[in-house]
Amino acid sequence: MTDTRGGLRGWAVGRRGSLSRLRFTSLRLRLVLVFALVALTAAVSASGIAYWLNREAVLTRAQDAVLRDFRQEMQNRVGALPEHPTQDALQRAAGQMAAGGQHFSVLLVGQDADGKTVYGSSGGINGFQLEDVPKSLRAAVNKRQKVTDSNEDPYHLYWQRVTDHDTPYLVAGTRVIGGGPTGYMAKSLEPEAKDLNSLAWSLGIATGLALIGAALLAQAAATTVLKPVHRLGVAARRLGEGRLDTRLRVSGTDELADLSRTFNNAAEALEQRVAEMAARDEASRRFVADMSHELRTPLTAITAVTEVLEEELESEAGGIDPMVEPAVRLVVSETRRLNDLVENLMEVTRFDAGTARLVLDDVDLADQITACIDARAWLDAVELDTERGVHALLDPRRLDVILANLIGNALKHGGSPVRVSVREAEDEVVIRVRDHGPGIPEDVLPHVFDRFYKASASRPRSEGSGLGLSIALENAHIHGGEITAENSPDGGAVFTLRLPRDASRLTEEAAQGEGGRSGDGDGGSGKEGS
Amino acid sequence: MSPVPSLLLIEDDDAIRTALELSLTRQGHRVATAASGEDGLKLLREQRPDLIVLDVMLPGIDGFEVCRRIRRTDQLPIILLTARSDDIDVVVGLESGADDYVVKPVQGRVLDARIRAVLRRGERESSDSATFGSLVIDRSAMTVTKNGEDLQLTPTELRLLLELSRRPGQALSRQQLLRLVWEHDYLGDSRLVDACVQRLRAKVEDVPSSPTLIRTVRGVGYRLDTPQ
Repeated sequence: MTDTRGGLRGWAVGRRGSLSRLRFTSLRLRLVLVFALVALTAAVSASGIAYWLNREAVLTRAQDAVLRDFRQEMQNRVGALPEHPTQDALQRAAGQMAAGGQHFSVLLVGQDADGKTVYGSSGGINGFQLEDVPKSLRAAVNKRQKVTDSNEDPYHLYWQRVTDHDTPYLVAGTRVIGGGPTGYMAKSLEPEAKDLNSLAWSLGIATGLALIGAALLAQAAATTVLKPVHRLGVAARRLGEGRLDTRLRVSGTDELADLSRTFNNAAEALEQRVAEMAARDEASRRFVADMSHELRTPLTAITAVTEVLEEELESEAGGIDPMVEPAVRLVVSETRRLNDLVENLMEVTRFDAGTARLVLDDVDLADQITACIDARAWLDAVELDTERGVHALLDPRRLDVILANLIGNALKHGGSPVRVSVREAEDEVVIRVRDHGPGIPEDVLPHVFDRFYKASASRPRSEGSGLGLSIALENAHIHGGEITAENSPDGGAVFTLRLPRDASRLTEEAAQGEGGRSGDGDGGSGKEGS
Repeated sequence: MSPVPSLLLIEDDDAIRTALELSLTRQGHRVATAASGEDGLKLLREQRPDLIVLDVMLPGIDGFEVCRRIRRTDQLPIILLTARSDDIDVVVGLESGADDYVVKPVQGRVLDARIRAVLRRGERESSDSATFGSLVIDRSAMTVTKNGEDLQLTPTELRLLLELSRRPGQALSRQQLLRLVWEHDYLGDSRLVDACVQRLRAKVEDVPSSPTLIRTVRGVGYRLDTPQ
């Protein structure tokens, strides 16, 4: 089972490998083609020139030797003949001439004393015959040239290469000056042709080898170029995926190394920039956290004192000057608002810093909602529609924050009666808070959970901190839940809160993420002390 | 216990110290104040207050350390004033032995209510005694003995044990315990219960890590069992 799967995976990997190579085919192919073309041109021209020069050299040398011999023989043998030799004498002379070292065939043409043309051939009757000699050659040989300063002799030795039955021959002819028979010779050039043939073959094979070598070189070159390019591509993709610490190993000093260096510099700059931005973001968050934190100390003092003032206000004795009373009331109420605002700011900064934690407990939703409404004296304005015994494992404090914000918001903007219903779904609980107000304008709906979002500039600013719904949403999120806002078709806004029945999975994950909680606590105590 | 409870307030910020002293005095407490942990510990030895209100962020030795030092010799109730409700602060504070905590900016009334609730825990009730294995709880004398030896329990720990022992074998939820012992309104921090149970186990159990008396009922709360 495992083996087959391993095999299949291997196949898949191999396939992906070939596919990824295919992507580079065009560049690879182009490189191979160019290399091959260059090699072909170079090899073909080199072999061509070499062949041509060789051929000329070989043929000329062979030809010169043959013609020298033939001339010599003509002078020696034919020059010794009488002006009108007999057939036999010619035949004999031809035989003698042919017996020389060069193995050529000889044909002597003369006129005997009767004026009859006689032939002497080295190969007998079937040997070399006058028909074998090209007419143009015969004409040239027998043509008498004018004797001038530059031309001393009336007759010359002429030669021509002919091919008969695929065998190349050298045919030459001349006349003995001062009268006498005309001599022709034919020499097979087959050995030379064979030599040249094998030379051509060798050159062809060399060209082929050069082509293969070029292709292999091109492949290697392509690999050395494409591998870094591929690495660069992979690195760029990783960088794009957000792994900003991706760097390339730079080796060598070529253009690709330059490119890698440029990539590394760009990645470093990017990482630095992102780190700077994150640091700035972190700094501004820290500032808000520190600021709200710093606000607490004076607020604690002010709060404690305002309560004293408040008690004075409420006391029957009327210890406060009626002229000052409105001022004291204002201070008391605004201090309370400031308290709420700072409290909410702290809550928000905890969410931003990711230090918010769930403290889970088994919660009876009906009890919790009743308690929440009761504690805020909303019992008269809220209708609760829930069956008893709906339990969930939640953070009761956070649930209370969510409920208080949703119901408080509904009472403030929608007006009573506010209807709260609780329903159980499969593994979540759904709490709906519905008011009977004018609903939320469509253009405001997407922003209701934004921080400090004011529906309109004309709205009095004394309504809440502007953070309530945003905090409610964050509290739902930390449970793995969600809040949505919409308008009911029957009028009024509906906020729907969905929370998982058991949020313990989330806390377990978080605990694993930071490692033992008690250990953190002990370490933290030392840190906090400073 | 004197009819007018005496408190020791340890707080380094002058404004907060003055304001809280004013507020608590008006609520009818006798308040002594100290500006640092060292001064506080000295005052504690001299004045023997009924309860300590302790700021966490103090110059010199911090509130957690003060809390730990007090707990080494004393079982008197301690309420922490934490500047943040950051979880780590709360957990460390509870582990160092505090009975309760309030988060700044604190409302005088809330602090007063917490103080009174903590002080009530030490009040005697007319009742008999109960035995759980080697543990004997004398409700009239407000003492707990284990194998005949007196256990030093804080009022909160004692109250928690009493509430559990009143319903032996019955699971009590954290929220129930918060209401019964801490007198918190409907929303208490259940970590108070967990921390107190841990401290109590360390004192009453033979092996605190595998408790046989105070058992955890998963998803519900705690239960006091008679060991077999």
